Amino acid sequence: MSTIEHEPVTADAGDGPGRHAGRSPSGGEGRRHVRNAIRRDLVFAGLAILIAVVAILPGRSGEGTSISTMQLIASMSAMIVAAVGLNLLVGYTRLVSLGQGGFYALGAYGSAYLALDKGWNPVLAIVGALTFCAVVGAVAAMATMRMRGPQFSVITLILAVLIERILNEGNAFGRLAGYPNFAQHDTTVMKPMTVFGVELLPPMIAGEVATVMVPIVIITAIVVILSRNIARSPWGASLSAIGESEMLASHLGVDVVRRKVAVFVLASVLGGLGGVIAVQAFGHLQPETFDIFLTITIVLAVVFGGSGTILGPVVGAIAIVWLEQSDALNSVSQWQQDTLSDAWFLSSHGLLGVLFILTLFLMPRGIVGSIGRLITARLRAREIDAADASGGLEHTDEELVPTAEPVDTTGALLALTGMSKNFGGLQAVAEMDLVVAPGQVHAIIGPNGAGKSTLANLVTGVYKPSAGTATLAGRDITGQPPHKVVRAGVGRTFQTPQLFHDATVRDNVLAGFPDTGRTPLWSAALKTPGRYRRDAEMRVEADRLMALVGLSDVADLRASELPYGKQRALEIARALAGQPELIVLDEPAAGLIATETAGLGDLLLSLRAQGYAMVVVEHHMDLVSRVADVVTCMDQGRLLARGTAAEVLADERVVAAYLGKPHETGTEGGH
Amino acid sequence: MEPVIIGLVLGGLYALLAQSFVLTFITTRTLNFALGEFVALGAFATLAVASWGWLPDVGKVVVGVLVAGVVGAFVHRFLILPFTTQGEHDVRWLLSSVAVSFVLLDLITNVEGPSPQRSDTARVSGTVDLFGTGVSKQQLLLATLAVVISLLLILVTKRTPMGLVMRAVSQDPETASLMGVSPRRVGMGAYAAAMGLAGLAGVLYAATVGASPVMGEPLLVASIAVAIVGGLGSLWGPLLGGALYGVLSQFASYQWGTIWGETAGLLLVIAVLVWKPEGLLGRRTEVKL
Repeated sequence: MSTIEHEPVTADAGDGPGRHAGRSPSGGEGRRHVRNAIRRDLVFAGLAILIAVVAILPGRSGEGTSISTMQLIASMSAMIVAAVGLNLLVGYTRLVSLGQGGFYALGAYGSAYLALDKGWNPVLAIVGALTFCAVVGAVAAMATMRMRGPQFSVITLILAVLIERILNEGNAFGRLAGYPNFAQHDTTVMKPMTVFGVELLPPMIAGEVATVMVPIVIITAIVVILSRNIARSPWGASLSAIGESEMLASHLGVDVVRRKVAVFVLASVLGGLGGVIAVQAFGHLQPETFDIFLTITIVLAVVFGGSGTILGPVVGAIAIVWLEQSDALNSVSQWQQDTLSDAWFLSSHGLLGVLFILTLFLMPRGIVGSIGRLITARLRAREIDAADASGGLEHTDEELVPTAEPVDTTGALLALTGMSKNFGGLQAVAEMDLVVAPGQVHAIIGPNGAGKSTLANLVTGVYKPSAGTATLAGRDITGQPPHKVVRAGVGRTFQTPQLFHDATVRDNVLAGFPDTGRTPLWSAALKTPGRYRRDAEMRVEADRLMALVGLSDVADLRASELPYGKQRALEIARALAGQPELIVLDEPAAGLIATETAGLGDLLLSLRAQGYAMVVVEHHMDLVSRVADVVTCMDQGRLLARGTAAEVLADERVVAAYLGKPHETGTEGGH
Repeated sequence: MEPVIIGLVLGGLYALLAQSFVLTFITTRTLNFALGEFVALGAFATLAVASWGWLPDVGKVVVGVLVAGVVGAFVHRFLILPFTTQGEHDVRWLLSSVAVSFVLLDLITNVEGPSPQRSDTARVSGTVDLFGTGVSKQQLLLATLAVVISLLLILVTKRTPMGLVMRAVSQDPETASLMGVSPRRVGMGAYAAAMGLAGLAGVLYAATVGASPVMGEPLLVASIAVAIVGGLGSLWGPLLGGALYGVLSQFASYQWGTIWGETAGLLLVIAVLVWKPEGLLGRRTEVKL
């Protein structure tokens, strides 16, 4: 829908809060948002680069004693890059991939093989290897598209095992002799690459400055900075949405299939880049180091540091690499042998396993996540009390003036013709016609199992209709997937609120903007000036929407901390953020107490006054009578009656459908 | 003919282990990624009592099965179950079972040393001629056991209330517990049975290749693959999956060399999952909104 472009026009017209009244952030508030955001980002980027540079200072003179430190830093960098990539999959999209080690190996072997055996320019070899990782990642993503949970993990594990076996047993890679090896290449170490006349020496020989460390740490810092940009952008929000529920994500306008492929490819390339860093720093590859243990260690780094946080994988990678390479684990192991038994003890792999289990028990959010929780928990303690005090949808903060423009009700906004849906032998919806005019509230009532929710799901594309057509403002949307229907201008709320429970109320509303589905990856990663402006604009608009549904005072609480009524209000605010023409509300009053239902009625009336058309699937007759222009009663998938609320409720067939036919024993069904 | 026979027989071993994945999956919706270590655990437990002359071989095998089973039940209770509490998207159990695998592998290696040890318990030596192909009796025994145990499991779940209980617990643990069925106890039972099976496979397999800490690792990937091809929700699945996987990987390695054997098997998994994510015999469940 082109409402974004229309926005400034509406705002300039200044006719009070008409519909789509997104105010452009020309005000001081918007500029303050932009300034703050730029300052925060610059500080973060500056710190990241600074830490990276300080980390390699000990190696500036090339003393022999600094070699092991530089190698440690290089291992950490490789692990950080791979873990940051994996975090996008595991932490945000909640696809637990056990295959990151495979991509790490592909990047390492690929870049080495192309440079040494194929004689490519080393930079091209790296690009080639990363491209290969991207292609393998894309294929794997498409193959696993319909999977979640253990199946996805198993497939990615199988992929990593497959790659490891091929590298272990492929003769071109020297098998146990490693790569490169004397028999095939007359050397066991890769030749250092030269870029712009500078030879990038690995940290290996005393007296030589390990120049390769400079690009390694800078690239690592850049990866961290860009991943932060991505995580905090609408693109990142779309990943969390997919992680929460793919159905929800598609109702936020996200093309779930393409986005999942994109994030898998991105994670794969970063996994490969980790491997590239390892080759550049160590110059030699041994196939047995790319075993299952490596791939699990990357997962451990993410979980231990804090999956789904920006700094988590960084902290986790540094900690795990340090543990593995320092004497810490060995001394624990030695201590066990001294004091307990010299047979029944754990060495480093076992101890990492114990650490993994302890992390899951004691810090499921990891180091960074747990610390973050501690800090915010204190800040929020008071606000939660405030939220409990006020009930929910009782009142709206903003006084709403009906729009001055008369609503154009001549053309149909939504038109369903002959809509049918069969589930196996069951006909859930049979030849339903439905017309919703712009600005009209159309309620759908009917006893349980009448097909109301199925009809709502047919409109937003959850189900493909068995027969019939659907048009929105004259455009055919029949059988379109939810993200296309949503982009065409349909908003949606669900029977049970589908929210990001761990995110704040404000972030939930922000996820509703069309940007979640439309921001391109490059713009999210590079964070263009336009992005800053748009972010500020969205924040201002989100504040307005929260005020509209009465959530202003709880904007910074987590969604899960809200009482049920407010969760419903939040869903409506999020739907409004998508700037829809039509909102489909699936039983919005379910689970609300009487005062909340009254508040919901007020809200729906004010939305109607602003020109939103609505389809309301509802049981609450009081609410229906109050807000609906037209009421359709369904029974057994078919149209039973249609008219004003009073007409439909007086209809004998409707009464019979709800209460049972007179000669039957009445089954209580209505409200 | 030869790759087919060998493949079918080899598939039997994978099927036996795949059955333990299916058992835990249909009751608890979890898979034990430490299965390979339970294979080794069973083998070493039997090895530990191998010198007890008064105990017949069957008794020694039972020791291996019991040790693996009891450890399995405890692993479920204390390391799997606590990590399944956050709904169907919760996969922390997957990570904890991988961690268990690290710990067990490390512990067994430290206690027993890395090199394979000869195990004579339950060894049947010699080969039989099957349609012109010489098959080792030990492997044939494994394959036969896989079929017999699968049939027994199917019979038990069809004919006794246990099958209903298992399905009920996997579909809705909460409601099942309201009906007086303890999901915790059923889960522990399933893990005990499944890991006991792994231990049994370990004892019999060790008689051919010797007992070593890493003996289960190559079996893990193959048997997970078999379980997935057949369908994690079906007790018939491992038999079909084992046969397909075994024959295909044998055929490929006869034709193009060993490395292609495994590759072909794993590619089969990917192909099946793309075509039918629930496995060949699995049933699809629609998500309702």
